[in-house]
Amino acid sequence: MTETGHATTHDAAHDLRVKAYFTVFIALSVFTAISFIANEAVRQGWISVATSVTIIMVVAVIKAFLVGLIFMHLNFDWGKVYFIIVPIFILGVMMMMVLMPDIVIPWQQSQQPLEPPVSTTGTR
Amino acid sequence: MTEVVYDKPQDHMGMPLPTPKVAMWLFLVTEIMFFTALIGTYIILRHGTPAQSPFRWPTPHDVHLIEWIGALNTFVLICSSFTVVLAHHAAVKADMKKATLYIAITLALGGVFLIIKAYEYNSKFQHDILPGHIGETRLPEKELGEPKIALDDPRAIERGKHDHAVGMQYFHRVQLQLEAIKNSSIDAEVQKDCNKLLDEMTSATAGEGQAIAFHRPPSPAEVGTRVNEILERAEKKGVSLHLTPAIPFGNLWASCYFAMTGFHALHVFGGLVVFVIILLIAALGRFGPQHSTMLEMVGLYWHFVDIVWIFLFPLLYLV
Repeated sequence: MTETGHATTHDAAHDLRVKAYFTVFIALSVFTAISFIANEAVRQGWISVATSVTIIMVVAVIKAFLVGLIFMHLNFDWGKVYFIIVPIFILGVMMMMVLMPDIVIPWQQSQQPLEPPVSTTGTR
Repeated sequence: MTEVVYDKPQDHMGMPLPTPKVAMWLFLVTEIMFFTALIGTYIILRHGTPAQSPFRWPTPHDVHLIEWIGALNTFVLICSSFTVVLAHHAAVKADMKKATLYIAITLALGGVFLIIKAYEYNSKFQHDILPGHIGETRLPEKELGEPKIALDDPRAIERGKHDHAVGMQYFHRVQLQLEAIKNSSIDAEVQKDCNKLLDEMTSATAGEGQAIAFHRPPSPAEVGTRVNEILERAEKKGVSLHLTPAIPFGNLWASCYFAMTGFHALHVFGGLVVFVIILLIAALGRFGPQHSTMLEMVGLYWHFVDIVWIFLFPLLYLV
């Protein structure tokens, strides 16, 4: 390949990257608007709270995924850094699961009538 | 056209990517754990509150959070992420003028984010929505799911003393605020409501020479209810009052809000300091293609800060 040919291929690759960055930027802006509209839709009563929460959180995950993949170059580097990143997400989820029995579950159960405790000193 | 080329993996033993990148990713995962602790705790605490009763987690309207301002902040950070990645791209192509320009734009956008955040914080200070300030009543025992304890039980007495102290703290705070409002010039009807509440709270005695009739001052819980009514009426008239509301779980909400957004804002500020340093290097004429790796690492940090806000915005403002 000639020098100019190599330079042309390189420029094309660079232009593609800029295009990818711009596309992700537009996508992020659109997704932000979608989550804002989903919130407004709940306030207007067009969709349920559960649907809106699902849309908003899915949109947030997609946005984070796009930023990580394209802006942070994980599309090139994932195979080299996954072993640093994956355990952290496992730990993060575990942290929330570990705290749930103490903080969340008693509240959920307190909404139901409590069973009277069974006496341990049974009569014979 | 010059370009920075990474060392080929086969030339070195060890990691198949540059050392700065390994170091930055290791740092970023510690930051992920830091924010996971804050955000995860917020999620847990929020799910640990009753959903349907009046004692529910505050809605954005209860705590004066304006959704479109949060959305604007999100857009500002997305733009700054775009410009920082373009800065790195320009540095790789050795176009340092463009790289400097994009860094300057990123710095400006980061500054805009902090200004909008400062505006929001000022709104919280104006409404006195701060941790430890907001009036709260103890949840009914039915909601707590705890077994009933006798009133003369030492635990009940201790709890009663604590509740009284906390309630009187709120009572005195509102009293001081109402006295300040008395000396200010606001809408006449709102002023009348505030003065009436203040008179009842100070258990106003009759004038000199007249018989004093006993007047029980309102309890802190009653003060909270009255304050909320006054604030609602004032809001409808467009009057802003520096009066602490009574919001169930308000103090917990405020603690979570200021912890999460405060630490995030500190991280944004740290990024801005680095951008200033880069611009100083450029001003000294020493900014060159050899800095493209540094730009990439700074970009990684900035994208991480953006990702944190991508999750903070819906969790605080939307859901």
